[in-house]
Amino acid sequence: MTRAGFALVIGLLSAALAVLGLCIGSTGLESLRQMAGDATAMQIVRDIRLPRTLGAWLAGALLGLGGALAQGLFRNPLADPYLLGSASGANLGVSLLLVALGASPGSGGWAARLGTTGAAFVGALLAVAVTLSLARGVQQTLRLLLAGVVVSMVLGATAAMVVLWVPDIMRAMQAFILGTTAFLGWPSVALLGGALLVCLLPAIGLARALDALALGEASALSLGIALPWVRLALVAALALATGAAVAQVGLVAFVGLVAPHLVRGIVKPTHGWLVFLAALMGGALLLAADVLARWLLAPQELPVGGVTALLGGGYLLWLMHRRRL
Amino acid sequence: MTASVLEAQALRVTVHGRCILDVPRLAVPGGRWTAVVGPNGAGKTTLLKTLAHLLPSAQGRVHLLGRDMNQWGGKARARALAWLGQNEGGAEDLLAQDVVMLGRLPHQSWLGAPGPSDRAAVEDAMRQTQSWDWRERPLGQLSGGERQRVLLARALAVRSQVLLMDEPLANLDAPHQADWLLSVRQLVRDGRTVVSVLHELGMALQADELLVLAHGRVVHHGRTDDAACRQALVDVFEQRIALHQVAGQWVVLPK
Amino acid sequence: MIGRVLAGLALCWWALAACAAGLVDDRGVEVAFDAPPRRIVSLLPSLTETVCALDACDRLVGVDDFSNWPEQVHKLPHVGGLEDANVERIVALRPDVVLLATSARVSGRLENLGLRVVALEPKSMKDVQRVLGKVGQLLGREPQARALWQRLDAGVSDAAAQLPQRAHGKRVYFEVNSGPYAAGESSFIGETLARLGAVNIVPAALGPFPKLNPEFVVRADPQLIMMGDRNAVDLAARPGWDGIDAVRNRRVCVFSAAEGDVLVRPGPRMVEAARIMAACLEKYFP
Repeated sequence: MTRAGFALVIGLLSAALAVLGLCIGSTGLESLRQMAGDATAMQIVRDIRLPRTLGAWLAGALLGLGGALAQGLFRNPLADPYLLGSASGANLGVSLLLVALGASPGSGGWAARLGTTGAAFVGALLAVAVTLSLARGVQQTLRLLLAGVVVSMVLGATAAMVVLWVPDIMRAMQAFILGTTAFLGWPSVALLGGALLVCLLPAIGLARALDALALGEASALSLGIALPWVRLALVAALALATGAAVAQVGLVAFVGLVAPHLVRGIVKPTHGWLVFLAALMGGALLLAADVLARWLLAPQELPVGGVTALLGGGYLLWLMHRRRL
Repeated sequence: MTASVLEAQALRVTVHGRCILDVPRLAVPGGRWTAVVGPNGAGKTTLLKTLAHLLPSAQGRVHLLGRDMNQWGGKARARALAWLGQNEGGAEDLLAQDVVMLGRLPHQSWLGAPGPSDRAAVEDAMRQTQSWDWRERPLGQLSGGERQRVLLARALAVRSQVLLMDEPLANLDAPHQADWLLSVRQLVRDGRTVVSVLHELGMALQADELLVLAHGRVVHHGRTDDAACRQALVDVFEQRIALHQVAGQWVVLPK
Repeated sequence: MIGRVLAGLALCWWALAACAAGLVDDRGVEVAFDAPPRRIVSLLPSLTETVCALDACDRLVGVDDFSNWPEQVHKLPHVGGLEDANVERIVALRPDVVLLATSARVSGRLENLGLRVVALEPKSMKDVQRVLGKVGQLLGREPQARALWQRLDAGVSDAAAQLPQRAHGKRVYFEVNSGPYAAGESSFIGETLARLGAVNIVPAALGPFPKLNPEFVVRADPQLIMMGDRNAVDLAARPGWDGIDAVRNRRVCVFSAAEGDVLVRPGPRMVEAARIMAACLEKYFP
């Protein structure tokens, strides 16, 4: 299959899923049918389902893009974009915010204005900053990886202790950890779209460098690639992409890992194409998971992170079975 | 006396407090093929990496084509000096021709697409290493020898003045080792400089110059047709090899 | 004649003004209403109970999954739990106001969609009085709200007064969850216990629901233990606990899930909560 052909297939699939996304919800197809006459039905379709569907695709695209970048940076086909600690940072940020919100009725003020989204985003960025400083810059990829793992573990444990200390927030934390698209409105869609555009630019610009990196760090250096700058730009793009996605939809597992992996299994692209196709694939995957999450137990919803974990885990099991990891 | 393309002064590399390379002075002559030999752990790869400016922690000065390495811009240096490393994995999913095209990176602008001259260089390099026939196969599906030939093509595609190769004959069978020899001879005839680390001593003795390393120090550096050179080779391997001349070429056999 | 008309007009004007006056919720946000809401969605069980206690149950069009009192609430559409409220279903119900907790994440989304959101979260007895007042203001039933509070307050005092003298001043340990998480003096449960004359082994300084070191409980040696049936494992099996007064003399009250709901929710059923705990005290200290 050619690369352009693959892009077309995924694009069509996403469009089909988007239409499905507009049809599924607590009120089913009724709302679509009554849209013209009924203001509430119109609001449901236009202001709730449409932004959710688009937001799910955009968040998935950000995660797919992040996954491609992470796999290129760490030269590991099973790297995922949370390796630099952004997920744990978001986790901790949200837990601290929930504690602040519940601390006293009036303190709502700044905490309410920041919101879960803001706290998660700030937490993710700060965690990556801590990873960078722990790894003492971007001189060595291995140090970066280890620092990321350390930061993930420490921040994750801290968040767990916060929840233990203030058990009131446990349910809210679980809801955040399992991920959901229920809170995506048009402002969220604008934010996600903006983040995607901002991250695509360095990603496509760095594509050649990522290809050269695939040959090994020494070979990449010998080809004239300015590795420290490349790594810094990659880390920044990763932080922004995962931070934005996690802030809006919670901790969604596996999309970042599976999307580029799937793309590489079907076509063999260079990073210029891979970055673009992985974003498309990630969008389609998360959208599919979201549609499933909303449809399986309608009118109730499954958490979308749970669905992606099941699907992602299933995919990896299938890969192991075919012995082609 | 040919001018030297690579000059090094006071090279020192220390790892964990231990000095693994100590070369006060070295001059690699231009337009010739120099083979670097020595026992395991002698510092051959380290020397090559230092000359290629790939070890930021190395001390000392290296001059490429008369100019200090630090004054060469990244891309300009990459156009002048190509490197082929040893056992560098990865790139399983890239097509062979995409891998070889990477060798043209130093000649391409940041976002520029490959042009006709790039494609010509890639085809030329791949035909030289007999890997053109499977240019559309991903690297992960090639055998060890086929892969090595693709990576060799990548280094050749750079069309640089100086070529540094670390163990370029790994996994190659005899006919393809012979092909490599022919390529190197052609490069030298074209005026390029080749430095290669080789474990195949018989092949090393085909080179123009021999650089013998032991324990991080240069033990001998001179022409291969010099008897002192052959003696140095035997000495560095502790008299456990014997050199015999067969049909005009030197053959190395264990004693 | 003109005087009466004017007085009548003034009364109407004042009434209208009162109705149109803004209500300030627990987030400090002022929400304006032209008229008392006719369609209410409640996402917090204690708020559901408060609305029904003020005779406005028929105005409820949707509740959360955990609201289960009074009986008629079961027939209403359930729109999700505390953390995963179903935005679409709430909008489809076309509510005039949505009542929820201050910590609910969904409030921002609902406000973006143009719905009126009032966030109230009662956590203590004073909160119950305040929330009753606010919901009363919202429903235009302030006098009823004030009267209800008087009845509730008096009811709790009655329950305390009817306890035998022996039941006063006993050391009580209330476990809310395995961990063990205890209800401290500053929690709603703790306040009820205090008004019943019991001494909580967990002082207010430790917070409303601290996670205790089991040694603390052993050292405090409570004379009566209260807990929910989900955690009612064999207390004597816990290391060192067989020496506790309450365990030795088997003074342990185990509450069912329904009773647990009453005890935990700060709302109009606080008299019932006081009576349940009083019954427990009376049982072991007659």
